[in-house]
Amino acid sequence: MTPVTAGRARPAHAGRRRRFSAAAPPWFFAAPALVVYALVVLYPAVSGVVYAFTDWSGIGQDMSFVGLANFRTLLGDEQAMGSIGNTLLLTVAIVAVQNGVGLLLALGVHARLKSRALLRVIFFSPVVVSPVMVAFLWKYIYNPDPSAGLNGLLGLHVDWLGDPSVALWSIAGMVVWQYAGYSMVIFLAGLEGVPRELHEAAMIDGAGTFQRFRYVTWPLLAPAVTINLMLSTIGGLKLFDQVFAATNGGPGYATETLSTVLYKQAFVFGKFGYSTAVALVLALFVAAVSLVQVYYLRRREVTA
Amino acid sequence: MTDLLRDARLSRGQFLRMMGGLAAAAAATACSTRPETTATTGGGQAATELKFIGVADQKTPMDQLAAAYQTSKPSVRITASYAPTDQVQTSLRTQLGAGNAPDLHVVYPGNGSAMSMTQIAKAGLLADLSAQAWTQTIPAGFKPAFQLDGKTYIFSAGSSVIGAVYNKKVFEKAGIEAPPTTWSEFLAVCDKLKKAGVAPIALGAQTPWVTQLITYALVPSTVYAKDPAFDDKQLAGQASFADSGWRDAMEMYLELQKRGFFNDNPNGTTFEQQTSMVATGKAGMAIQVSAVLPDFRKAASSPDDLSMFPVPGADDANSVWIPAGVVVGLGASAKGKNAEEAKAFIDYLGKQESINAWAKAIAAIPLTQDASSTIDPAVESFLPFTKDRAVPFMDQRWPNAEVQPVHFAVIQELLAGKSTIDEALKKMDEAYKK
Repeated sequence: MTPVTAGRARPAHAGRRRRFSAAAPPWFFAAPALVVYALVVLYPAVSGVVYAFTDWSGIGQDMSFVGLANFRTLLGDEQAMGSIGNTLLLTVAIVAVQNGVGLLLALGVHARLKSRALLRVIFFSPVVVSPVMVAFLWKYIYNPDPSAGLNGLLGLHVDWLGDPSVALWSIAGMVVWQYAGYSMVIFLAGLEGVPRELHEAAMIDGAGTFQRFRYVTWPLLAPAVTINLMLSTIGGLKLFDQVFAATNGGPGYATETLSTVLYKQAFVFGKFGYSTAVALVLALFVAAVSLVQVYYLRRREVTA
Repeated sequence: MTDLLRDARLSRGQFLRMMGGLAAAAAATACSTRPETTATTGGGQAATELKFIGVADQKTPMDQLAAAYQTSKPSVRITASYAPTDQVQTSLRTQLGAGNAPDLHVVYPGNGSAMSMTQIAKAGLLADLSAQAWTQTIPAGFKPAFQLDGKTYIFSAGSSVIGAVYNKKVFEKAGIEAPPTTWSEFLAVCDKLKKAGVAPIALGAQTPWVTQLITYALVPSTVYAKDPAFDDKQLAGQASFADSGWRDAMEMYLELQKRGFFNDNPNGTTFEQQTSMVATGKAGMAIQVSAVLPDFRKAASSPDDLSMFPVPGADDANSVWIPAGVVVGLGASAKGKNAEEAKAFIDYLGKQESINAWAKAIAAIPLTQDASSTIDPAVESFLPFTKDRAVPFMDQRWPNAEVQPVHFAVIQELLAGKSTIDEALKKMDEAYKK
């Protein structure tokens, strides 16, 4: 069993794709949405960039142009630099675990289980809850009291959110719990698109469960993998609500992410200019990472 | 293959429906989060609507006084909304920055936080209240909290103190007859409580602002009792956190932890948990600000079980000083179209009977007192200090909004054993100089 089967099936489908896109509606159908997007998202975002080169406090009229000083400050800012480390660790953990768990869940509820419809709803349900609510909920689950919450359930004695060496992973766990169902849904969509004929053919060729997954399902899941990795990476890099509600960056600076730093600089310290500079760096960073990711992941996509 | 085609079309339909659903959901949430500005204004004709945004601690007195004001002046409607400290500071700053400040809003006395009087007044966003009669009676020691360059920008009903909120029943059970008056007595009391099987001091250090209260309770004795002009020297660059009694205060803080006088995992414990521990007798006391006494009382089965005593930060009872700060107040937006009506409401708050009502609701010591002023019995033990052995909360004299959050963070790091007192004080000094 080799991916050749998959390769052979490609031209027919690709042709169909093209026919679909030929019948696609003209681009100006998107114009109203684009205008709204430009007015509500693009214009404010771009006009805000100016502040990254000033020392504006966020209120009042006092403002002077400081050139690249804010970016120089960022390089020497221990706290911001530390938060970049935290952000990357969180992102890697979330991307790996959330998608791993999501894939397992998807494979599980894709199987012919009696209660699979119900299970899908249950696994997806945390996604629709507001992240802040989830964080407050988990604050109770992460109660350090050995007889309460997760500690009580597992018989542990861990200070989940209060121990600086654990807190970051506790937040990652919380995020994974909430969004694994989201990855699951996308993987499920991918799984539904794997033609049964290929599985039948592979079975006739004598492929076992794992081999069928490895050589049939997995290559055809590539588009789902691309979208899941990209969405979870962007989500991880931008992570704010959960951290803010659960630990507010603490204890100390142990769970400070780039988003919480830029928030604090703007609204707590009154350094709007500097905060905008941090935001700009974050936005460029996220864009760069996503583009590289899409480029590489797209190359390994095949279709059935 | 036709199967596939149908599948694809179906999923596109589902997709569109899903997007429609999402849009509807987004619209619904957008509507539900819009602040209710009109909901409570119905009825009055040609009413002036004054919008107030306050901090949660202000809800009880503000609702009470706003209702009273509206009865006496039916042409004015006051719509108030409240949020916890951290949230209200940010949302207000955003509104001020965007130029749509509410007519009245919470203002923190003095300097040192993002919504403090000095920071906002400097930006020209607070209305000058100096013409109002009550401003003439502000006690001299409190003037820096109310005034910038001799003009008054904030109304506050009085002062609150930081001390130990304790559970009288737990103290009795542990055989403690009287609150301690020196540091060694304080340690002995903690020891007795520990032996009685309760956490001597409940500490909710996961809630950032709670972290600072123990240092604030000790620093008046370790710093200001020895050098009442410390703030001025620090502003002039002649004194620092690292070379002052701040070091002693931090050492005392950590000594309490080393002796096991805190609950387990203070960094994972919130203010709400701290409150309930003391109120339900699982802990003996909590070092807290008197303004939250009502929260403790609400959580207790019998409110009379709770009282307060000053934390003795020195071994000589006569050199014990206490922190007594002006409570969070409010100001009027300088640029609002209802500025005059807003100022008139503040003038009403400045009347002695309003001050009395406000102070009573939050267990504060009224700004000015007359025969009908009441002082909460729980804070009576602080009164002997308020005359000449009390200092305002430290952050009110700090030059920027960064020192305070750094203080929160270093305390959490110290409690977690991830930092040393040297590093902590150095970070605070660095933030002070920014």
